[in-house]
Amino acid sequence: MDCRQAEPLIPSYLDGELSEVRAAPLRRHLLDCQPCRAGAQGEKNLKRWFAPAAAAAIPAGFAARVARRAFAGDVGEGPLGDVVLRPHAAPQLRAVSEERTFQFVLGLTAAAALLVIALAVSMRSWNLPSGTSLRATDSRDQISVDDAIERLDRLNRAEPAVAPARPVQDRRP
Amino acid sequence: MDSGNRTPQEGVREPLVEATLMESVQAEDESLVQETLAGSHASFQLLVERYQDRIFSLARHYTRSAVEIEDLVQDTFLKAFSRLDTFQGESSFFTWLYRIAVNTMLDGLKRRGRSPVRTVEDPEILATPGPTRISGPSADMEREEIARITHAVLEDLPEIFRTVLVMREFEEMAYQDIAEVLQISIGTVESRLFRARAKFKDKLLQAHPEFGQE
Repeated sequence: MDCRQAEPLIPSYLDGELSEVRAAPLRRHLLDCQPCRAGAQGEKNLKRWFAPAAAAAIPAGFAARVARRAFAGDVGEGPLGDVVLRPHAAPQLRAVSEERTFQFVLGLTAAAALLVIALAVSMRSWNLPSGTSLRATDSRDQISVDDAIERLDRLNRAEPAVAPARPVQDRRP
Repeated sequence: MDSGNRTPQEGVREPLVEATLMESVQAEDESLVQETLAGSHASFQLLVERYQDRIFSLARHYTRSAVEIEDLVQDTFLKAFSRLDTFQGESSFFTWLYRIAVNTMLDGLKRRGRSPVRTVEDPEILATPGPTRISGPSADMEREEIARITHAVLEDLPEIFRTVLVMREFEEMAYQDIAEVLQISIGTVESRLFRARAKFKDKLLQAHPEFGQE
């Protein structure tokens, strides 16, 4: 193994990720090659820059809040977030979706019913008499009292000519 | 894939014990997933509690804003929930979740107008960089100061390198796990890490020449 072959293997070797088949020749090379040993030391130094930072502060109640939002149907932002519910969404989400759809349809039906009732009431009011006083009038054949008496007189005068009245006979013995 | 609950102290456990623990955690995770799918609010909350530390830790490497960090982590879990029935148990729940988290972080950067990839270079086809010697932080440097410098350098790295460095150096993930999360080969993980470290050294020396050994 030469330096050119050894160099890219050093980080994996230090990570403990090199199989023994590959590690054994590298170890032999490192024993013989001072520049590569220095390179290996440089890799070790580099690791000290990746010291773990203090633990991340997790907001109180975070898990509970996320679980609540998840079961409420929230799928977050981003490409997935554009689709509220996906076909392969968890059953709970589908249940939430169905419930929301049902509520929407229910609301829509109620609104439609109210509209029909309002329309019916307003149409009925068109046929009712307007004004504030109650009057019972029949405009079909309005005639005066004098006219009515004159008509009756005419009828009375004409009747004897058509059918003279006969006296009623008593049929009793 | 590791359970996501690994600590440096746990890393020295006997391999058999470690493997048994991992299997146990994975079985518990799968059980919690099934309970969540059956409608258990508490089970999903438990899953969030299990992994929120790791996802918060990851998010800190993508933004310094506490509000943005919380948003990113929340989005990760909400997306995971909405896709929970696609989790088949082929990888560990943590691997699956972590993949969603990484994608969420990158999407978050894009949405916020910060291009996650500031270079069009393909890291796999570039020439091998020359050796760069660098000294570690001095013993009297405060941990916060080291973290601040490192964070600034990482921010200046192309996203493709930043992610792999964070996963390996801060999250201490095995190459196999990184490969599973990023859906790349182990060989690609090796080469990408090699280049990422070289870039990190270059950027660090550009910003702080005093840490150069040569």
